[in-house]
Amino acid sequence: MKFKRYSIPYSLWLLVFIVIPLVLVVYYAFTTGDSQDFSTFQFNMENFKRFFTHIYTSVLLRSVNLALVSTVLCLLLGYPIAFIISKEKEKTRNILILFFVIPMWMNFLLRTYAWLALLGKNGIINIIITKLGFQPLDLLYNDSAVLLGMVYNFLPFMVLPIYSVLVKLDPKLVEAAEDLGANRIITFLKVIFPLSLPGVITGISMVFIPAVSTFVISSLLGGNKSNLIGNLIEQQFRYTGDWHFGSAMSIILMIFILLTMIFSYKFDKEKEGDGGGLW
Amino acid sequence: MVEKNLNKLYMAIIFLFLYAPIIILIVFSFNDSKMIGNWNRFTLKWYIELLRDREVLKALYNTILISILTAIISTVIGTIAAIGIYNMNGLGKRLILNLNYIPVLNPDIVTAVSLMTLFRLFGFQFGLTTMLLSHITFCLPYVILSILPKLKQMNKHLAEAAMDLGATPSYTLRKVIIPEIRPGIITGALMAFTLSIDDFVISFFNTGHGVSNLSITIFSMARRGINPVINALSTLMFIGLIILLLIINKRADKNTLKERG
Amino acid sequence: MEKQNIIDLKNISMSFDGEKVLKDINLYVKENEFLTLLGPSGCGKTTTLRIIGGFESPTEGKVIFDGKDITDVPPYERQINTVFQKYALFPHLNVYDNIAFGLKIKKTPKDVIKEKVEEMLRLVNLQGYEKRSIEQLSGGQQQRIAIARALVNEPKVLLLDEPLGALDLKLRKEMQIELKSMQKRVGITFIYVTHDQEEALTMSDTVVVMDKGRIQQIGTPIDIYNEPKNSFVADFIGESNIIDGIMHEDYIVEFSGKVFQCVDKGFQKEEDVEVVIRPEDIEIVASNDGILKGVVNSVTFKGVHYEMFVKSDDYEWMIHSTIMKDVGSEIGMTIKPENLHIMKKVKSDEI
Repeated sequence: MKFKRYSIPYSLWLLVFIVIPLVLVVYYAFTTGDSQDFSTFQFNMENFKRFFTHIYTSVLLRSVNLALVSTVLCLLLGYPIAFIISKEKEKTRNILILFFVIPMWMNFLLRTYAWLALLGKNGIINIIITKLGFQPLDLLYNDSAVLLGMVYNFLPFMVLPIYSVLVKLDPKLVEAAEDLGANRIITFLKVIFPLSLPGVITGISMVFIPAVSTFVISSLLGGNKSNLIGNLIEQQFRYTGDWHFGSAMSIILMIFILLTMIFSYKFDKEKEGDGGGLW
Repeated sequence: MVEKNLNKLYMAIIFLFLYAPIIILIVFSFNDSKMIGNWNRFTLKWYIELLRDREVLKALYNTILISILTAIISTVIGTIAAIGIYNMNGLGKRLILNLNYIPVLNPDIVTAVSLMTLFRLFGFQFGLTTMLLSHITFCLPYVILSILPKLKQMNKHLAEAAMDLGATPSYTLRKVIIPEIRPGIITGALMAFTLSIDDFVISFFNTGHGVSNLSITIFSMARRGINPVINALSTLMFIGLIILLLIINKRADKNTLKERG
Repeated sequence: MEKQNIIDLKNISMSFDGEKVLKDINLYVKENEFLTLLGPSGCGKTTTLRIIGGFESPTEGKVIFDGKDITDVPPYERQINTVFQKYALFPHLNVYDNIAFGLKIKKTPKDVIKEKVEEMLRLVNLQGYEKRSIEQLSGGQQQRIAIARALVNEPKVLLLDEPLGALDLKLRKEMQIELKSMQKRVGITFIYVTHDQEEALTMSDTVVVMDKGRIQQIGTPIDIYNEPKNSFVADFIGESNIIDGIMHEDYIVEFSGKVFQCVDKGFQKEEDVEVVIRPEDIEIVASNDGILKGVVNSVTFKGVHYEMFVKSDDYEWMIHSTIMKDVGSEIGMTIKPENLHIMKKVKSDEI
């Protein structure tokens, strides 16, 4: 068909704006020198050596740890919501999901910023606590605050894919399980949950990826003490100017995410070849 | 029954969790005190201050300009690309589809810094142009992914039938294919618009020379702590969002009516 | 000895959002019976089946199973299993695990499960399919697995909800025979739902014809076919000519302006009735020898017989006959008294 040719402009776009930039990042990662002057570049592994011999490794581990915990929290909080909503009548269902999505449409930074007003020294929560006669708490600028920010921002990313699988689940399958003697708990464990796994896995990657690579949430809620891998990359590109080291860390982050994805998709046998996608 | 009530309670708690921060921002945008927990009296002074803030207004202008341009350009390129990809097969198709997924799956920050290195290599001046190009780049895959399923749903022989009846390829495209996949194109355009308007990370790394959008402005203000002007801005953006939603809903209702009628 | 009632539906009524879909259903099913609920879509047959299975609770009435009231017993505690429409096999489990599903819940020992699953696969003629995934199976094979999955639990009653609906004609015919013989072999009660009257007549011991939420007639296939109780049953079961008539007195009926002998009695004098005549019961004779006269409008060859539409003064008759008459030719028609079925006129609000 002649329409095949229509993909050529986009192929070029992909080449220039996706492939070449990634190649550049890889190139930067394996070289050192003055970031702005190509003639000074030298191939070596210095950036990776530096990463794995310094405190940077612990930052990576902390980022992964926080991202994992927030992913698990999102799953534990989000699955029941998706399940409850999917059981409602179609009209109620659509309204509830709409209300779930509305906060998501609000600017990401504003959503995160809002927690400053709640958790701050003079924030709402502390005012309530002091009114009740207790000492004010240090709620802000620590890992818990970062975690809270992650769960708050990414919870819908967990709920929506699980919901969309559950809502399409054939109610006949649930009836079949009950017909064969499964009570509601067994039906859930043996039929509903296994069948919702594609949604769970999409949800996990949609929460884990932005959580592990964020620098906004940690910048705003974590203060200066809570550096994550995202903050390190940001600093190298925006302030320190060592693009080589920044690129190396980006590569490490990418590889890490790739590994998690492969790991989680292994459970997802029914993944279709193309098209399907995250939504 | 007990279970039903427990479910309702749980939902209520989660919705409280989701909405409480937003409601507090809105309430305290009308508070005549810099201290958030300290309710003085009702005021609109933060809104007046916001509207006088040249920096914020310029950022708002940039945000809207970029998101409209991004939506238009990525929808046009994306629609053509999706039709092309749909008609491809084999290795080439799989290659493009996989490359298309990279910006979707890659963390924003990696996409952002990789584009940053590209623009530096080609000696671009960082500013509105680099921001626009980077926005188009990360919105395009979503546009394509929302159009491709519509193409798949389309009857395979539709285009062939049109050409069999004497339509040229471009006529077929305009009169047969595009009307068929219009819902996907509209979804894609809306998605590009909202992704662009909401973006921070990609813009943050690919702007320069004092060019800023709302997200960047909010970030630099928020880093300095609570600022009631941001509260006022949040309120306005939230109201804007609700109005937009209502309009889209109305439109959707009308469309379903039309389809039925 | 009289066989026991395994299931008794007593005064079952059912409403969805204020709309009555079942009205006062009374029905008993005997042990080892093959009973079919037959009717057009929306007649309430599937709802009746779902009430027996426990997936719906009736608004009024009771379900008695083996002498016990099970109206409020959840499906997983009923000794009843279902073969679902479109099978509802678990897509995440293979053939073996689908069939073993119910046994595993009952904590049956592993070796017993294995034995029973194999036995079931033999019964449905799919030995060696244990490891297959559901998507790899054809419609007919999925059908068999669905039956095996239900039967392996040794239910007292098997419910089948249009199980053959998704199969093509040839396979459907084969499965009809196979299902019937399977039922005889395992010796359990089958309650079968279908809208296909031929299927119902072929397989069942008892047919329950339903329409608009009511039972219209219960009987053996032969009874239902030969002695339809009302014009709905007559029309739905097989093809019929239904024409308005007047019952002058016992054994004498008039329609199409002619008086006929019949075998029915017990009507009021001059009562308005409906006369049902099966198309194969109209005999073609020379045009002057018949009681009725008509002109052949169309002829279609149907394999065993010809289907003809014959226009008389006030009615177009459908006739099945092995004799072919040319279109346009005038023929005579006679009907034997025992082939005239006289029905009371049903007032539309009664149904």
